[in-house]
Amino acid sequence: MARVALEQIGKMYGAVPAVIDLDLEIEDEEFVVLVGPSGCGKSTTLRLVAGLEDVSSGTIRIGERVVNRLPPKDRDIAMVFQNYALYQHMTVYDNLAFGLRNRRTGEAVIGQEIARAAEILGIGNLLKRKPRELSGGQQQRVALGRCIVRHPQVFLFDEPLSNLDAELRAHMRIELKRLRERIAVTSMYVTHDQVEAMTLGDRVAVMRDGRIQQVGTPLEIYNRPKNRFVAGFIGAPAMNFLEVRLEDAGGELYAVAPGFRIRVPSERAGLRNFSGDRALLLGVRPEHTLLGEPKPEHGTGFDALVEVTEQLGAELLLGVRAAGRTLIASRIDPETELAPHAPVRMSLDPRGLHFFDGATGEALR
Amino acid sequence: MTAATAAIEPGSGRRMADALAPGGRMALLVLTLGAILLLFLGPAVILVVTSLRPGWAVYYIYRGTAFTVQNYLEVFARPAVVHAFINSFVLATLATLFSLGVTITSGYMLSRFRGPIPRTWFGTIYLFRTVPYISWVLPLYLVDYYLGIYDTYVGILLPHIAVHICFFSWIMKGFFDGIDPSMEYAALIDGCTRWGAFLRVALPSAVPAITALAILSWLYTWNEFLFALILTGHNTAMITVTMAQFVTELGTQWNLMSAMAVLAMGPAVLVTVFAQKYVIRGLRI
Repeated sequence: MARVALEQIGKMYGAVPAVIDLDLEIEDEEFVVLVGPSGCGKSTTLRLVAGLEDVSSGTIRIGERVVNRLPPKDRDIAMVFQNYALYQHMTVYDNLAFGLRNRRTGEAVIGQEIARAAEILGIGNLLKRKPRELSGGQQQRVALGRCIVRHPQVFLFDEPLSNLDAELRAHMRIELKRLRERIAVTSMYVTHDQVEAMTLGDRVAVMRDGRIQQVGTPLEIYNRPKNRFVAGFIGAPAMNFLEVRLEDAGGELYAVAPGFRIRVPSERAGLRNFSGDRALLLGVRPEHTLLGEPKPEHGTGFDALVEVTEQLGAELLLGVRAAGRTLIASRIDPETELAPHAPVRMSLDPRGLHFFDGATGEALR
Repeated sequence: MTAATAAIEPGSGRRMADALAPGGRMALLVLTLGAILLLFLGPAVILVVTSLRPGWAVYYIYRGTAFTVQNYLEVFARPAVVHAFINSFVLATLATLFSLGVTITSGYMLSRFRGPIPRTWFGTIYLFRTVPYISWVLPLYLVDYYLGIYDTYVGILLPHIAVHICFFSWIMKGFFDGIDPSMEYAALIDGCTRWGAFLRVALPSAVPAITALAILSWLYTWNEFLFALILTGHNTAMITVTMAQFVTELGTQWNLMSAMAVLAMGPAVLVTVFAQKYVIRGLRI
């Protein structure tokens, strides 16, 4: 087992940077998820750690070793690919044995390891089959088995669930969690799916344009996004954003937009420095966008018009027009009757107010 | 097609054949297929019939009932013909074996690697393929002559290997493009070197493609005429050239020529029957 440390790593494809000065430390047995939109450099980062690509600058350490110049086979890692990448011409057993045989492991030990992995993953009955005779979920299990048998220092996952249908993906997500309880290995997991990121990661690193935007536990990322991008990327339905100014009136701070004015709670007094004409973004998650007159502790309300409603059974999603924007509110009582274009009173949960610099998108605290 | 299915597939409504009644459409299909069959099968039938006729009857293959296998016996009684068959067989086999080694690796390189070497190599074979085939023959003759390998196995073998490599590297590249590279990445991580990943993972996955390629290469050399005509003499005569030698000053011995042609078609027919699955894959790329 080992720590993985990426220090100032960069990767250029010709003149195009794919990864820029990336720092990331993964503790022993920690599970870190790299998440971001496509083309953000997350897969490239994983391939750099795997050794499938060479870094242009910086240092990669696995354990105490600098592995920059080591070929993939000497890095003591295992990787699961999006399309499983099973050896099509071999049986499942030979697929699992391939890595061990390359390391001159005895057949008896190989047999034991495969039996153990097959038991953990429930693929004991598939060992004699060829990959093309397996379903997507079964192939993914075999791919996981290929990692488990080798007892590597690091597991790398490259979007392992994206080729599965929604139901199977949810199922495999739970299986992956279970697997982690049985086999704790330092892991790097790449996905574009924020649900996977939130549910699987001990920590999550959100990437964009080759840079890490924020690293933290799923809750930190969710509750204290560092910038507008992270705030908008994590969470579904996505965070609402309103262009506002801060107004300092009689010792109270107000967030103001045309037709919209709410009081900022006093514990956010630090924001006073940003009051005046400075353009800010107010971010508020749908679950903090509340229907009805505000409770006393929720400050001031504002007027809005119903645009759409989406009935989900357990909750109602509500889209309202306020301050020239559409705001989405979630967790509305599904029994609520709301006609389109009806005027409603709304309020915002003061604990859920995020302010971002209008120009840089940085969170203001 | 019923009105309902036509409504489901709006694009198909514009097809010309749809203007016809269903019966007319069937007639059109039968006529087209018939014409194609006639065009391709007709010459083969004429060839086989001619090869079974006595020499005096070859101009009237649709009349008369005189058939004989004498032509085949006579053809095989000629040492030149037997030699030609052996020569062509040996040449096609050797050229295929030698070229495959390069074709497979160069196809792999073109498919998987970027950089100056693959680019240059790509340019080279591209050049070779765009220049008219016939314009290589005379220079090759001179090369053979000055190297003293004219009318030797080597003198014809080397150009054939070169042609195989240039023509079939592209096909091999196409095959490897169709094989997912992440399998090789997995092999690299599982303890293979780059060569190991190629030999133990990419190559076994490409066996059907390589089979198709081997068949295509072999048939190419077996059927080749131009190089055989210019670069070989009496020592290494090939079937295609020997066959043409039935055109004599006293007239063309159609019956004998046909008999030899039918024999020469043998490998192609066998391949078509037994390995068509692979060959079709090869031709599709």
